[in-house]
Amino acid sequence: MMRKSIYMGVLTLSVLFLASCSSSQHLYSWYNYEDIVYQYSKNPNEKLQTKVLEQYKMVTEHQRGLRATVPPGLYAEYGFLLYKTGKKDEGLKMMKEEITLYPESEMYISRIIKQLEK
Amino acid sequence: MKNLTLLSVVAIMLASCGSSSSLVTLDQKYPLMYQEQPISIVIMPPINQTNHAEAKDYFYTSLYTPLCEKGYYVYSPYLTMELFQQESAYDAELFVEADLSKFHNVLGADAAMFTIIKDWRRSNVGGVISVDIQYLLRSTKTGQTLYSREGKIKLDTSINVSGGGIYGLLANAVATAVNTAATDMIVAGRKCNAYVLADMPTGKYSNLYGKDMKNPAGKEIISATIKH
Repeated sequence: MMRKSIYMGVLTLSVLFLASCSSSQHLYSWYNYEDIVYQYSKNPNEKLQTKVLEQYKMVTEHQRGLRATVPPGLYAEYGFLLYKTGKKDEGLKMMKEEITLYPESEMYISRIIKQLEK
Repeated sequence: MKNLTLLSVVAIMLASCGSSSSLVTLDQKYPLMYQEQPISIVIMPPINQTNHAEAKDYFYTSLYTPLCEKGYYVYSPYLTMELFQQESAYDAELFVEADLSKFHNVLGADAAMFTIIKDWRRSNVGGVISVDIQYLLRSTKTGQTLYSREGKIKLDTSINVSGGGIYGLLANAVATAVNTAATDMIVAGRKCNAYVLADMPTGKYSNLYGKDMKNPAGKEIISATIKH
């Protein structure tokens, strides 16, 4: 009985270890962000722009990664594109969201905002 | 006896998990990463030593998500690209050995990631896409190299359907050429990022931050052939 429980214990530990070994856990959920934005940068057209905006919405609103928060730079990119496509107030608000979430970005984002408002 | 077998199975499992034969730990190989503990990284436009002009633009942005996943604050390359172009700083050759303090003063970046593309090639006949990229993370405060590694990755896109004699061989060659041509080169670039950065110490947003010092470091140059 004792032997069996030790055996089970070791087995469980091994399984746990193996599971932690192949750490497929991501900090953030990216969905198809990488591919779509890459396609858009190669061929910036309106159809792809709509898709890019959809990805930004997904990534900023539905985070299931380990950190359960929006990845660095995403609010800034989203805000920048919104601003460029005419939604200026919404865009600025989004860019300020980046600073709130990542204070280390303040110098950089403030610079971008300043340039946009010139 | 049974216990001994069990123990050896566990030992093999443990051994197979860490990268083989490497005895150097991350804090031994990259001590400056742990001394400086950079929080934010700016990705520099790649230095392209190949004849493929497009490699620079396409590879540039591919480092963004993997570095975020390592736990760093990464300045969006889509936004910094504009900034670099305005400041005539789109040629990282100018900075790779120069003073980087302006990136600290202007962006607040703690470190700059340089990449040198040494090879970026597609061979439709053999069905292989090869990339060779060197990575260098330099401190914007001290100018020292905090992390450096090189990846030589081959992406095998060949198609091999068995049978069919000479026509089968011909069909395979055609299918391989089509598959290779259709595979975006960036796929190889992304694989290279994944292989190389696997042993990069993590940043403060990672769940492994402060716990990875004793993890094994990989080889200086990592070579791999991956089936696509």
